[in-house]
Amino acid sequence: MKLPLKWLKDFVEFNVTPEEFANRMLLRGFEVAEIIPEMKATGVYVCTIEKIEQHPNAERLRVCAVDIGREEPVTIVTNATNVYEGCQVPVALDGAVLADGMEIHPTKMRGVQSVGMFCGGAELGITDAEYEGASNDSVLILNEKHVNGQPIADALDLNEVIFDIELTPNRPDCQSIIGICREAASALGQRMKEPEIKEIKGEGNAEDYAKVTVLNPTLCPRYLARVVTDLKIEPSPRWMQLRLKLAGLRPINNIVDITNYVLLEYGHPMHAFDLACIEDAHIVVRNAREGEVVTTLDGKERTMSADMLLIADPHKGVGIAGVMGGLNSEITGDTKVTLFESAVFLPENIRHTTRKLRHSTDSSARFTKGVEAVNAEKAINRAIELVDMLGAGKVIGSMINVTAKEPAEKTAVADIAHINEILHTELSGERMAELLSGINIDAEVNGDKLVVKVPHFRTDIEDGIETDWDIAEEVGRLYGYDNIEPTLMVGKTFQGRLGESFALEDKIKDYMASMGFMELYNYNFTSPQEYDLLLLPEDDEKRQTVRLRNPFGEDQSLMRTTLIGGMLRTVQLNCNRKTGHSRFFEVGNVHFNNNDDLPEERRMLGAVCFGTGESFFTLKGVLEQLFGSLGITGVRYERGGGEYLHPGQKAVILVDGESIGEIGCVHPQVKKGFDLPVSPFIAEIDFNKLIAKANAERKFKPLPKFPIVPRDIAIIVDSEVESQTVIDVISAVKTKALIENVYCFDVFYPKVPGEKGIPAGKKSMAFRFELRNDDHTLNDEEIGQAVKAILKSLKFRLDADLRS
Amino acid sequence: MLDELIKIREEALSKLQEVENENDLSELTVAFLGRNGALTAILRTMSKLAPEERAKLGKEANEVKQHLTEKFEQVRSQIAKRAEEFKIRQETIDVTLPGVVDVPAGKLSPLTVVYREIRDALIGLGFTTFEGPEVEYDDYNFTKLNLPLNHPARDMQDTFYINDKVLLRTHTSPCEARALMTLKPPFRVVIPGRVFRVDEPDASHSPVFMQMEGLVVDRNLTIADLKGTIDTFVKAVFGENVKSRLRPSYFPFTEPSAEVDISCTICGGVGCSSCKGTGWMEIMGCGITNPHEIENCGLDPNEWRAFAFGVGVDRVACLKYGINDIRLLYEGDARFLRQL
Repeated sequence: MKLPLKWLKDFVEFNVTPEEFANRMLLRGFEVAEIIPEMKATGVYVCTIEKIEQHPNAERLRVCAVDIGREEPVTIVTNATNVYEGCQVPVALDGAVLADGMEIHPTKMRGVQSVGMFCGGAELGITDAEYEGASNDSVLILNEKHVNGQPIADALDLNEVIFDIELTPNRPDCQSIIGICREAASALGQRMKEPEIKEIKGEGNAEDYAKVTVLNPTLCPRYLARVVTDLKIEPSPRWMQLRLKLAGLRPINNIVDITNYVLLEYGHPMHAFDLACIEDAHIVVRNAREGEVVTTLDGKERTMSADMLLIADPHKGVGIAGVMGGLNSEITGDTKVTLFESAVFLPENIRHTTRKLRHSTDSSARFTKGVEAVNAEKAINRAIELVDMLGAGKVIGSMINVTAKEPAEKTAVADIAHINEILHTELSGERMAELLSGINIDAEVNGDKLVVKVPHFRTDIEDGIETDWDIAEEVGRLYGYDNIEPTLMVGKTFQGRLGESFALEDKIKDYMASMGFMELYNYNFTSPQEYDLLLLPEDDEKRQTVRLRNPFGEDQSLMRTTLIGGMLRTVQLNCNRKTGHSRFFEVGNVHFNNNDDLPEERRMLGAVCFGTGESFFTLKGVLEQLFGSLGITGVRYERGGGEYLHPGQKAVILVDGESIGEIGCVHPQVKKGFDLPVSPFIAEIDFNKLIAKANAERKFKPLPKFPIVPRDIAIIVDSEVESQTVIDVISAVKTKALIENVYCFDVFYPKVPGEKGIPAGKKSMAFRFELRNDDHTLNDEEIGQAVKAILKSLKFRLDADLRS
Repeated sequence: MLDELIKIREEALSKLQEVENENDLSELTVAFLGRNGALTAILRTMSKLAPEERAKLGKEANEVKQHLTEKFEQVRSQIAKRAEEFKIRQETIDVTLPGVVDVPAGKLSPLTVVYREIRDALIGLGFTTFEGPEVEYDDYNFTKLNLPLNHPARDMQDTFYINDKVLLRTHTSPCEARALMTLKPPFRVVIPGRVFRVDEPDASHSPVFMQMEGLVVDRNLTIADLKGTIDTFVKAVFGENVKSRLRPSYFPFTEPSAEVDISCTICGGVGCSSCKGTGWMEIMGCGITNPHEIENCGLDPNEWRAFAFGVGVDRVACLKYGINDIRLLYEGDARFLRQL
């Protein structure tokens, strides 16, 4: 919302700096986003051209001696042809910044030094609306006498500012100069006097000139119209043009400018139709027919649907309600009779229409945020007052009023004690009423209640459950939040707690970071192609994605079902940029479409490492230690896992027989697909399953009473045999000795068959295990029997031979 | 004989002077004190002497042996000491060379670091962690929070929709509804999580970002309590010297609503380019929970009052670390993460 200080001064006495005003508004909930000078160009001054001579070296340049209010004239070289000796023009001197941001410095032009540059309207950022002649494409010749050396902004009376104020959606009333001035006045310690509109009775009866029928009073609760004949279409006066310009609108002609002026001043959008173009002079407000086409003022064809509201005559559409008028009934230079429309349309319907048509306007923006019936009437009366003031035409008497329900006065009753409770204040009802009065809300104390006469423009104040809070908000912000002393909460004491899953997430993240992994936060969006790049079969669970209805683009249209794609892109980025780091992890959610209302959300832990020194086993080692630190035991790795993994280097991770994740090297084709210079190793683990396993209680077991006997054996087996298989066989052997903590500590593949006595297709593996007994110290015989039993079982099950 | 003994002693002591290392010393020890050494040889010949002379000479010989043994021992320990010193010198390193680790330096994202700081400050104030789904019902994200369909304030948050009923939550506030509906008041919860808005990524916008919300439900809460809570929290996160203020604003789910400004962390509040010369920086929104929301979630607004505040973790991280482009938080460039 643009509030020109010039306009503000119509309603309040402005007695502070613009910055102070902005700060006061801010502390009342109105943020001034920008203080814009009326004249954008700086460093431009009034000068008189004393003498003009032909440039010695350039036919099209002229050298001017210029009086800029200093003792000596200065030299300006120009190519302007409209300047003459004795004329006053704006000149940009060293350091000036023009409206388009260009900086001016002294420069030599074909051998003659010029200290600056003459300016036209374009360089100053102004048009005829601000100063007559400024729209010409040449140097601006000043048409009044000014002092040389005076800043041009002062000379042209464009030295004030425009406040660009951000509005919150609860204050549609402030989308108007008058509305925002109510707040501004209060911020300046004044109360704005509500402007009085002179009633223009006019002659005759509008109903003899036009007729209005509203077929859908739900979508159009009020339609007001007045008629003006004998129009003289001409440019509006400069003061009006200037105000429109300052507030950001383009002047068009007196009638259109009047509607726009009222739009700015009262915040109520209006429209003016050329009544001659309305058949039977009959306005019909109705739903559009499906597919009905209206060409709007901007010359675009808009296809309507049946849920949109159309302003029509008996045969055709003449405007889209609340959005834009039709081209067929536009005010032109030839328009003789106009019908001013000031209507109330249902905000949600206008919102819907603008969205569907993808077309919003100053009008629709205001309708969408909400307009009200009383203001609609003020607006149309103000427009008629302006018609009269400008002598733009002959006002016809009476107003056409089609209103479903006349607006009623609203009263809201608030509880004074409750307001003080919410605000932690001790204000009297009278003090509250006084504060409210500052923003033109009248209230009276009645016992312990505050009876608030809700002004028509405050549609946000509710008479109901919210009243106390509504009034508390107004009283609070007017009283000033700074005046409320902070307190610490009293009452029941709480023991703050970090939930278990949060604590474990902290622990897991800390562990991953300590192992050299950097934490990622990748976007949750992904492209359908990613699942092809990951070689996932059509029926893979990871293809059960949730699709966004309004994504940025197809490549970000799905919610990810795996962290892997994001991690691989991270690998790519870090390789490309040679960042020198090769371990990353992420804890994030993925979503699966499970045909319920809400998709299944799973939190995943993803880890990736790549490059020199990294292998399947370095990543596995990281995970093993992680599981260990979480107290997860009995973790098994079985060959298997997603299609995106290398068939020879992939495993599913099982805890108590349940898969909790996968680990492996990426498939060579995936590496290619993601354009990776390395083959990363990745792991993805279901976070919730992980922490569920971590929750297992840990209980102390007494330490063994009798000595442990460690034993190593080396065996020769088929090279396909996995260590886990051997471990399972050894662990399953039943002997008098307990066999525990079996692990493989060495594997040897012969490089040539027969090396170190290992035949082709075989390998040597060395295992260590511990033997003990709960009741006694094992003797040599028992130890020997146990080892023998193990070797026998290995021979029987795996055809394994002891390596001699 | 005695002369010979003295000669041996002198010779041994003189040779001992020349000993340089353990090896020389061993040889010398063998040559003089060993089983076949010079001294032993003399002692052996003593048997031929008269008893009286033998006793005298024996005493002398023993003294010489003892003397030599001591001297040899002295030299031995000197050599050992020298050898140790030499070894230490050899093992001396340049302690200013960089350290070596077999894992590279890992890092938590600044988002995690800041999230934990905020969270832990609130836990210190008696809050408990709470969370909810990222893909959420429109009802919880908007309607229950006093943002019915077509409410103009819905435009404040451009929303990614899955369908008419389901969306990507635009804030952590739907968890307010979930907490109000499931927890028994009074309670205090802190709700972290990712949120989503249709904002094309640029230096200050990201379609995915992280928010943290605090919700307190009790009987007699006031806006002064809200101020006190926010003040404590701001000091814990930004430092004891940082001031905060509430400034009126509007959110559909709170009334009264306020923005929280903190004194500029760059200039300390005197005004600089980061705070556009105002001395203040906006960091979060807050307010007394709107009675409609309380009622929509099944509680009586005249019995239970609540207040809530929501802070952008990304924004705080950017402020704290001076990050000028929010996208860096989501890019995964190790050079960025390494710095923080």
